[in-house]
Formats: sequence, structure tokens, C-alpha cells
Amino acid sequence: MKIFRELTRRNIILFFKDKGMFFTSLITPAILLVLYATFLGNVFKDSFMTVLPEGLKLSDEILNGLVGGQLMSSILAVSCVTVAFCSNMLMVQDKVNGSIKDLTISPVKSSTLALSYYFATLVSTLIICLSATAICLVYVASIGWFMSACDVLMLVLDVFLLVMFGTALSSVIHFFLSSQGQMSAVGTIISAGYGFICGAYMPISSFSEGLQKVLSFLPGTYGTSLVRSHSVRGTFEEMKSIGLPDDAINSMKDGIDCNMYFFGREVDTSVKYLVLVLSTVVLIAIYVALNANKRKKRR
Amino acid sequence: MKRIIEINNLYKSFGDVKAVQDLSFCVKEGELFAFLGVNGAGKSTTINIICGQLAKDSGTVVIDDKPLEEDVNTTKTKLGVVFQNSVLDKALSVKDNLRSRAALYGITGAEFTKRLEELSKMLSFEDLLKRTLGKLSGGQLRRIDIARALLHRPKILILDEPTTGLDPQTRKIIWNVIDKLRRDENMTVFLTTHYMEEAADADYVVILDSGRLVAKGTPLELKNKYTGDFITIYNVEEETVKALGAKYEPIKDAFRLSVPNTAAATKLIVENPEVFKDFEITKGKMDDVFLTVTGKALTGGAEK
Repeated sequence: MKIFRELTRRNIILFFKDKGMFFTSLITPAILLVLYATFLGNVFKDSFMTVLPEGLKLSDEILNGLVGGQLMSSILAVSCVTVAFCSNMLMVQDKVNGSIKDLTISPVKSSTLALSYYFATLVSTLIICLSATAICLVYVASIGWFMSACDVLMLVLDVFLLVMFGTALSSVIHFFLSSQGQMSAVGTIISAGYGFICGAYMPISSFSEGLQKVLSFLPGTYGTSLVRSHSVRGTFEEMKSIGLPDDAINSMKDGIDCNMYFFGREVDTSVKYLVLVLSTVVLIAIYVALNANKRKKRR
Repeated sequence: MKRIIEINNLYKSFGDVKAVQDLSFCVKEGELFAFLGVNGAGKSTTINIICGQLAKDSGTVVIDDKPLEEDVNTTKTKLGVVFQNSVLDKALSVKDNLRSRAALYGITGAEFTKRLEELSKMLSFEDLLKRTLGKLSGGQLRRIDIARALLHRPKILILDEPTTGLDPQTRKIIWNVIDKLRRDENMTVFLTTHYMEEAADADYVVILDSGRLVAKGTPLELKNKYTGDFITIYNVEEETVKALGAKYEPIKDAFRLSVPNTAAATKLIVENPEVFKDFEITKGKMDDVFLTVTGKALTGGAEK
């Protein structure tokens, strides 16, 4: 336990001391914030207006609350994974600069070493993502607040689970990397691509039916759906209370992926959590097994 | 003396490249063992196998009476390694670096503080503890590398070219510490170096070439076997030296004659007392041994 604690401490300090790694991890949330503030926010606002029943008008506060919730959920859904990939770069950097040799000549267990990278990345990513959550909540409060305390808590839980998932996924992928070039390539692909395939940049419902079916196999999409559901649940409640028909609300929920479908069947919230947790556990098990196997081969 | 490292018929290949071939040697407890070879001779591969970083293809490696594969983690606690290039964390302070590495051996809290104090005194880096590692000079960095290797009081200290690129004063400090450790704690030192004067001080030398052992013995045995003696004669004319019939080369203010051994040198001097009025006899150097057995010269890190 002492070894694990000290290794984790080392990894966390190194991440925050490495300005390159730290600032790179903030790029994705920052870009998303700029995108939404400049034009995506208005695009979403206009698209909501088009699905409203004829003659029904919603207040700016409600519309802003909905768009703000979507902005927050998109930023958080992407950041929890992309920030984890950046934080976890230390694992590859240790291979590149040879530090890993210095760690593995000691009697430390491969599982301890592997989990120390995982846990340090988890902590670093959580610090950044929970800070981002706080900033987003302040932003949403300033434009239209309809969230309950329970929504906020559930949102924090979603962020926590998504960070665990993102960290596990990055650990498995980074295990196979051993150079700066590979690390940059993976970072670029994840930053550019993950937002699309998890439904953060564009709702999955707006993709073709075939692509929707393929994406429904990716656990990250369920994480995005959970974050989004809890971000905008209060706003939909407010819409219901002022008399917006259930069908209209449901169609809006479908449109922004609050409702997720697996081959036509709606996926229950508890199943979304189950998918996220199980995939995280499986990824962690694969990661530990890969490390143990590598050590065995060395002998 | 007990054999602390015993390697028999070791083989290791990387694809078609035979890095180590049929390597057998042993290192005795407490000795300074020099492991020589040009870059790519198989030194690092052998060290990586000894440290459990690399799997061997075949052969046996026994460390302190235990086969390596039997309990590699216990073996690792007996080894301290100073790598060719520092592999500590440049962004962390000296103390944070040593704290994280000490924890790998279960050394934490008061035990770590005590050990850090001992090592910082021994290697004179008390004033560097709070400094960031990346801001240290080459000599300071090397002292921290050695401290890291000694944190857990290993029985065997593996030094992979520890003094390459260092100034003479730092080299002297480092060798004084190593000598003290050998004297006081009977620590075995396994050294690879490109400095032949360091190898000349070793108790035993093994020379590798293309993955194979090409020579082994004490420096004296190797010099006697692979080089002759040299007689340097002062204040004589070249014609006189030429008349002696031995191979020679002019050097500054003198001539250097090569003779097969000390007996031949004595015979030449006794037969020509009028020529040998101002002279000295020296043994061949480790550079000459290395050149003879490998056909290559080593000079401070570069192969010639």
C-alpha cells in the first residue's frame, strides 16, 4: 500500500508539474467552450424552436437552461475521456525517457505499478473535470437554472464514472504506445474523434440509422446520455409544468440523446449505468492482465 | 570468496542479432568487476538479464546462490543499478525523487529520512535536496543517481558507465564513495566503463566482443597474456636503439621498445648495459589488452 501511495503521489505531482501535459489536457474543454459560445449555442437554440408545437412560446430562461445544459453535458462528456488520455501520457513518457526501467528494477509488482498510473490519472482527471463541472454549473446558473440538488449529485456521479471509464480506456490504449509520435497521434485522434462518436458534438440521433446502431455498441455513448439527462432533466420538468405536451418533450429528449436506443429498444437509466460500470471493470482487468503478462514474458 | 553472480552458457538473440552467445563468468563477493566491450558487444543485454528486465533465451544466471527465475523480486532487492543515462524524474526535486524510489523497497517515513541523511552526507548533496533534478549539473546528477541505487543497501552495485562525461574531480568523488562502500560494506561492484584506467583498478576483468567472451582475468594476467613489456630509453641516438634489433617507436625525448615479456627486457638490458643508462620498464596497459583481444580501441566512450 505504501508503494502504491508513493507511486501515485509521484505520478500526480509529475502531471501537474509538466505544463505541457497539463495545458494539453485543457485544450478540449476550452475549444468546446469557444465553439458553443460563438455559434453552436445558437444552432441548438434554433433547432429546439423548430420542434416546439405551433403557437407555444418558451421563455428565454428555459431555452437558455436547455442549451446551457446541453453545452455542459457535451463539455463534460468529452473532457472526462480526453483529459484522461492527456493525464495518462505519463505512462508513455516513462517508457520514452527510460524512467520505467528505474521503477521495474525494483521489486514492485506490475499490478501495483499499473494501478498507480491508473489511480494517479483518475485523480488528476477528476480534479480537472470536477473543476470544469463547477465552472459549467456557474455558467448554467447564470443563464437559466432548473437543476435540483439531486441532479447536481447525479451529474457529479456521472462525471466520476465517465472519468473512471476514460482512464481505463486510455490505460489500455497507452499500454501499447512507446514513443512520443504514437502518443501525439493517439491524442489527436481522440481529441478530434471522441466527441463525435460519443454524441457530444452532434447528437447520435442526428446520424444515419446504421451509424446509430454501430455507435450504440460504444459504452461512452451511454455515459454522454447520462450526463445529458441529468443536465437537462430540470429544464424538461419546467417545460412539463408550463404545459408542454409529453410527446414534444419526449421528441426533444430523443433529439438530444437523453433517450438512447439499442436496436430500437429504449435503454433504461440503470442499464446505462451498468454498461458504463461493467465496461470500466473489464477495461481495468484487461489493463492489469496486459501488465502482468508483459512482466511474465520478461522472465 | 563466495561467488555472488554466476552466469553459465547465457544466450540471448533479438531476431537475427545474436546479442549474447555462450557467455559464462562469475563475480566474487566484494570485488570490483569490470565488464568491457565496445557499444553493441552485449554488455547492456547481459546487465538487463541480470536485473530481470530481459528474458534470456537459455543458460543460467545465479545471484547470491539463487537462480534468477526462482525469486526475481528478492534478487532485485540485492541489486542497485546506476544507468548510463539518468532515469530519474527531471521535474521532481532530489528529495521527491529519492522518496518515490525508496518507497519501491518499502523504505518510508523515519527510515527514509535517516537513509537520506546518510546518503546525502556520503555523496555530499545535502544542499541539493530541494533542487529540481533537471537543474543539476552532470556531476551532481550522477551523485543523485548513485544515491538512488544505494537507497536499499544493495549487495551488488551495477554501474553502467558511471563516469562518462564527468569532470576529473567528480569522478574522484564517485570513486572514493565506491571504494568506501566496498571497504566498509563489502559491496560487490559490477562496472562497465570506457575508461581503461578505471578497468585497470578492477579485481577481475571480462572483455566481450560481438556477444562472446574474448578474454577474462585479473588486469595483471591480461596484461601478461595479451601485451608485452615496454622499455623507454632516454638520452640515446636512434642508430643505437635500432642496433638493438627490437621493435621501437620514437616518443618525446625518448624511444619506446616493445619486448615480449619482463624476462626478455631483462636479457636485453643485461646484454647492452652501455645503452641502458637512463630507462624504465613498464607493463602494457589495459588499452593495449583491449586492442589486442578485440582489434578495437576504446577511448572515453567512443569506439575507434
